[in-house]
Parts: sequence; C-alpha cells; structure tokens
Amino acid sequence: MKKLTLALLFALILAGGIAMFLGNTDVSLSERRQMAQWSDVAGSNLLSGNFMTKVENAAMDQFPLRDSFRALKANFLYRVMGKLDNNNLYIHNGSAAKLEYPLDELSVQNAISKFSKVQNSFLRNPKINIYTCIVPDKSYYLAQELGYPTLDYERMEQMFSEGLKGTSIQIYDLLDIDSYYATDPHWTQGELVPVAEYLAQQMGVPFHLEGATLHADGEFIGAYVGQSAMNLAKDELTYWDGGILENLKATDLSTGETIPVYNLEGRQGNDPYDFFLGGAAPLQVIENPDCPNNRELIIFRDSFGSSIAPLLAGSYRRVVLVDLRYMNSNVLNQYIRFSNQDVLFLYSTLILNQSSALR
Amino acid sequence: MLFSSLIFLFAFLPLLILVYYAMPSKGRNAVLLLFSLVFYAWGEPKYLVYILASITIGYLAGLLIHRFRGKFMAKLAMILATVSTLGLLGYFKYADLFITTINGVIGSTIPLLKLALPIGISFYTFQILSYVIDVYRGNSEVQKNPINFGAYVVFFPQLIAGPIVRYVDIEQQLRTRHCSWDKAYRGAVRFLVGLGKKVLLANQLGALVAAFDGSAEQSVLFTWLSLIAYMMQLYLDFSGYSDMAIGLGRLFGFEFPENFNYPFLSVSLTEFWRRWHMTLGTWFRDYVYIPLGGNRVSKGRWLLNIIIVWGLTGFWHGAGWNFLLWGLIFGAALIGEKLWYGRFLEKNRWFGHIYTLVVFLFTLVLFRANNLTEALRGFSSLFGLHGQVLSNTEALYHLRSNLILLLVSVVACTPVPVRIMNRCEKSKLAPVVTILKPIGLVVILLLSTAFMVDGSFNPFLYFRF
Repeated sequence: MKKLTLALLFALILAGGIAMFLGNTDVSLSERRQMAQWSDVAGSNLLSGNFMTKVENAAMDQFPLRDSFRALKANFLYRVMGKLDNNNLYIHNGSAAKLEYPLDELSVQNAISKFSKVQNSFLRNPKINIYTCIVPDKSYYLAQELGYPTLDYERMEQMFSEGLKGTSIQIYDLLDIDSYYATDPHWTQGELVPVAEYLAQQMGVPFHLEGATLHADGEFIGAYVGQSAMNLAKDELTYWDGGILENLKATDLSTGETIPVYNLEGRQGNDPYDFFLGGAAPLQVIENPDCPNNRELIIFRDSFGSSIAPLLAGSYRRVVLVDLRYMNSNVLNQYIRFSNQDVLFLYSTLILNQSSALR
Repeated sequence: MLFSSLIFLFAFLPLLILVYYAMPSKGRNAVLLLFSLVFYAWGEPKYLVYILASITIGYLAGLLIHRFRGKFMAKLAMILATVSTLGLLGYFKYADLFITTINGVIGSTIPLLKLALPIGISFYTFQILSYVIDVYRGNSEVQKNPINFGAYVVFFPQLIAGPIVRYVDIEQQLRTRHCSWDKAYRGAVRFLVGLGKKVLLANQLGALVAAFDGSAEQSVLFTWLSLIAYMMQLYLDFSGYSDMAIGLGRLFGFEFPENFNYPFLSVSLTEFWRRWHMTLGTWFRDYVYIPLGGNRVSKGRWLLNIIIVWGLTGFWHGAGWNFLLWGLIFGAALIGEKLWYGRFLEKNRWFGHIYTLVVFLFTLVLFRANNLTEALRGFSSLFGLHGQVLSNTEALYHLRSNLILLLVSVVACTPVPVRIMNRCEKSKLAPVVTILKPIGLVVILLLSTAFMVDGSFNPFLYFRF
C-alpha cells in the first residue's frame, strides 16, 4: 500500500507538472482577465528575480483545471471551515457581494479632489446645475443586516457634501438588495426606474419613460460567478426599451462611431455589463430626438452610470457620459462646451473607496 | 523558491526525484548540490555568491584545521572562519541596526546601507560554524570532498529555515545512506502533513493577522484574537516547514533532527525552549553556553552565561533591540524558574501550562513589533489603554469567520491527531486507516494545490532570519 500511495502521489505531481507547462490559456472567462503566459517568461532577466516571478505567475495561471481547483478551495472554506468570505467575497441567500471596508478616506479625498478640479475648471458658470449622488454597493443592504463590517457610508457622504459643490441626492432608500444582480456588483436596470425618476425630479426635469417596456432577455452571468468560484444561480438580464427610448442614438465621442444603447454582442464578452452602451469608454453621448425639452445632462460616472443613463435619456435631449477612469479631465473642454447643463457626479462607493484609477 | 509553490511541488521536486534516483549513488550528492543551488538562486540569484563564499571559507577552514591539527594555524583557521562567516552575517543583518543606533546616540548622520538579507544566512552560517568548530574539536572528520561539503551546507530542504543540521548529524549519511520505500513513504507523509499545516492552516491564520494589521479600529478583542492567531501561525508555519524539510530529507535518504515537540504542552519556559526550535537551542547550548562554562562556574558567571546566550538567541531572531529584549526576557524567566519557581510549575502543571502560554503570547508582542515603541503600544493595546473599544463589528466578524480555523489550529498544535492515528493503526480500525490514510494524503495534496492555485506569494515567517 505504501508503494502504491507513493506511486499515486508521484504520478499526480508529475502529471500536474507536465500539464502545467503545456498550458496556454490566454484569457480566463470566469476571472475575466488575461492569464500570465509561459511566453511572457522569455526574454526576462534571469538575474533580476523578475524571471522567477513570471514563472511563478505563469505556473499559477496555467495550472490544469484551475477553475476546478479554485472551486475546491472556495467550497472547502465555506462548507468545511465555515468561513464567511473567500477572497473578500461573501454569499448570502444566493447573492454575492464584496466585503468592502474600511473606508479609505485618502481614496475618497483623492476622488473629491479630482471632481473638485473639474468643478472649478469647467463648471463655474452659474447656469450650470451641479448634483452629486453616491451609488451604494450591495454591502450597504447585505452586510449591515448580517452584522458584517462595512464602509462608513455616512462619513463618505459627509466628505462628499463638504468637499464638492452641488446638491447631494441620496438614493439609499430607493434601493434594496434585489435592485442588484445576485452575481455581479452592478444594479439591474430593470429595478432602476424609481431611482431614475427621483434623480430627474431632483434635477428639476420631468421624468419620461412613456411607452417603454421591461424586457427580460436570457442569462446574465455576473463577475462574481467566476470570482467566487461557487456555483451561483444565474441572473436574468432585464432592461427597458421601446416607447420614448425607441429612437435613442448613442455615439462614442472618442472614436466618432455610433454604438448601440443595448449591445447584444457585449453581453457575450468578458463583462456582460458591456450590454449597456458597449461598456466602459471615456466619452459617450446619448441623443433623444423624441425628448420634449432641449435640456442636456452631463454624467461623470463609473460603470453604474451605463445602465441608468438610457433611463435618464428619456428626460433629456442629450446625455453626455464622461468616465474619468479613461479620460483626463484636462481635455474635457475640447469635447464639451460647458454652458447651462445639468451635471451629475454619479459614482459607486466601490470606485470612491479605490479611486486610484481616476485620472 | 518555496516548498508551498506550484513550481517547487510540480516541477522542481518530481524532476529532482527522477534525476536523483536515476543517478548512481556516487553521483547523488552532486545532484543534490546542483539542484539546491538552483533552489537557492531561484529566489535570489545575486546572493548566490555569498553562500558560495561561505561554503568556500568553511571548506578551506576544515582542510587547514585538519592539515595543521594541534598547531596554532589550526586555531587561526578556526578563528578566521568563524569571524568571517559571522562577519558576513553581522554585516548583512545588523549593520543598519548599529548605524541607526549610533546616529541616534551621538546625533551623526551616517547613511544606512539598506542591504537585503540573503535568504537563509542565519541558518547556513550556523551550519558552517558547527562544522568548523566540530572539526577543530575533533568531533567530526574533515570533509575533503567539496561536493559533499557543499551539499551539506546548501541542501535545499533545510537551507532556508532549518532545522539547523550539524555536520556530525549528517556526516555518515553524506557518505552512505539508505533509501527505501518505507523511508520515502514516511518522508512523503511528513512532507504533506507539513504542507497542510503551512498552506491550509498557517496561511489562513496569517490572513486573519493581516486583516488585523489593516484594520482602522483595532478593538481589544481583535487585538487578542490576532495575537493568539499569530502565535499559532508562527508555530504551524515554522513547524510545518520543519516537517516538510524532514520529509524531503527522508525522500532522499536523510534523517534530519526534529525541531519541534509540541511546545504548547510545556509547563515552563525551560521546557518550552526544549520543545521549540530545538536545533537552535542545542546549537547555542553546545557552541556558546558550554564553551562559556555552562553551569560549571560560579553562580554569578552561570547567570551571566544564561543572559548572554538568550541575548544572542533574541538577536539571532531579528536585527532589532526589541528582539534582544525578547531574548533577555526569556533569559530572566529561565533564571527565575531555575532559582525559584521551576519546581512549583512542575508540581502545578495546569498553572504551568497557562503561565507558559501567557508569557510566550505576551513576548510575541515584542517579536512582532518593528521597534520598542511599537511593542509598547501593542502591549498596552491588549488592555485597551489607548481608548480602544472592547469589541466591534469587525472583530466579531473575524471571530465568527475563523472560529473553526482557530479550533482546528488548536488541535493541530497538540499531539492529539497523531495519537488518535497511532491508536487506530494498532486497533481493529487498522484496515480502515490503511485505506483512509492514502486518501487523506491525496486530499491534503489536492487542497493545498487548490489554495496555491488560487493564492499568491506566501513566504515563510522565518524567512527574515
């Protein structure tokens, strides 16, 4: 039995090693990222230690049955060791959320500084109406109920209101955990009508969604499915279309190309939330020729803005979306003529707490 | 390279096993030397020159001592080898400490050297010293084969973090050693148990400690929780590494000395240090304490010898005055046990257990700190003297999330699992154990692999030594 055991163990490590070196996975769909390749190792400086790091990274990323092993670890931690989270992700009643804490005040201050610079550089015209709105993450609704640590949301709101000009719009009471995808950090557009209506009301525009209907269109496999490595029940993609939204026209201003408001191809890619306006882009515009007024809205936003912008487009002739993660604010006036727009700073707590990506 | 890495487990180790056992016996030490140099260079290629220099010094010193035995040259060779190897260690490890201290005392502005510590230097320096001194004393034969000597110093299982293997312990095995299926099996079992202790328990405890370190509001409960987790992490990490080193040694026919013997069962600190990092303790006993006279001197000198040994022990663990103080606290405690209350502890074992664990736990505040100021703050935080709350959501969350881990770790720190296994193997359950044991080993391998695949860099705690 001892010889058999040794032979089995040796066979396992030998087979694993051979398969590891033969691995050539480019992209992990479950983890939504590029995988380190063995070809990355070539040309590295052997003496610098960089070579070894690249080899170790390639070994981890190219190991056979990687997703299965990650699932094994996750299941062991949750079901055997009783851990409440794995890689800072926790699951409650089928809904996955990120354990985001503590509040990084330096990060929030960094975001505020960047927004303040935009406000002071471009938004000094008194005809411009400025609004701020923080999108709570799922933990606001889940973690507090479960007694898990959370961000200090009150402090974040306080910093925002003290650091930025404009009217603060708070939407916490308009959302609950069902307003978000179970398998993704994002909110579902299907549940956002009350939020869009409230935002429009606060910004002093009538809310228009006449004739639009709610569509449910197949599976939505969110980011947390792969990250959690657990067998989460899939979501359903929901979105509003038709009626006053029928003739919306979206353009990517950085390329000049027309883009679909709802990108059916985008949901098949690495990030299904790319369904909304094709995903992250520095500068986009949605025009609504059917809008009864001539007002223009500029939204400084992160990915959460992609899904709510079409709903607000019913109330504005033109909605410009600016993503400061992909665009330096210094060049904004080359693309936007700031005059008398409504300007909304709409950011999620997740981005504000890790704002290094903002330029 | 780490034992708990995919490259080691799935590339280096199987390749070495294949080459080693394909090689005739005469060439196997050369294989071990070559692979061990690759293992060492994997982490720090540029520091290979220092370990090769230390090997050269030790090897030449041995030859000179043997050649000029009984003459002044032999003593000179021993002294020069000792000074130069300790000098290298001192330079890399302690230079900046002394510069900082001098700058602080006299107000100078000598720039720091900011040298990175070559991995394992504390361990291989002591191994080379043990060889040189033992050859000088006549306890060991000189090793004239540079490959055999190099293989002894740089043999990868114990190169990075021990156990400190003395040349006398391995001398015969370098010449001839017996490899068998049984030995290899016992080695594989020991290795996998160590891997499980490290990856499945110690690393997870480390994540809890890291969560505490990153916490904005470190409540009293969280402070205690993290300290207890750290104590177990330290033991499981270090003893797990020693298990892996001993297991790997057996895979290639070597028997290394044990390094841990369930230290948390101790009823006194004297007993604790006979169970914790045993090879370090015996090294200091045989090469510092006894040459100083041990306890065969006047009482005052004896006490001084203890203080010197424990001061050096503390200093060996880290280049900081907090480590020196850490060692001296143990020296003082051991003196107290020897002179006053040692017998009381032996007679009142439960009290002795609690006393040993509590004292060791408190000394870890010093051990973890970067300096004395941080240590003082850490110690006072245990009692909420900085206005911390008693408990908060974060602390309760981590307690709930890690409760099973903590309980399993407590059991893993005791001989209970091994005793249960041994009893079952000798009982009617023996056939069941025969089937379950291989399954258990495969499960540990697969689970550890799963954690490594999902994880990232996870160095051993004692890597800074």
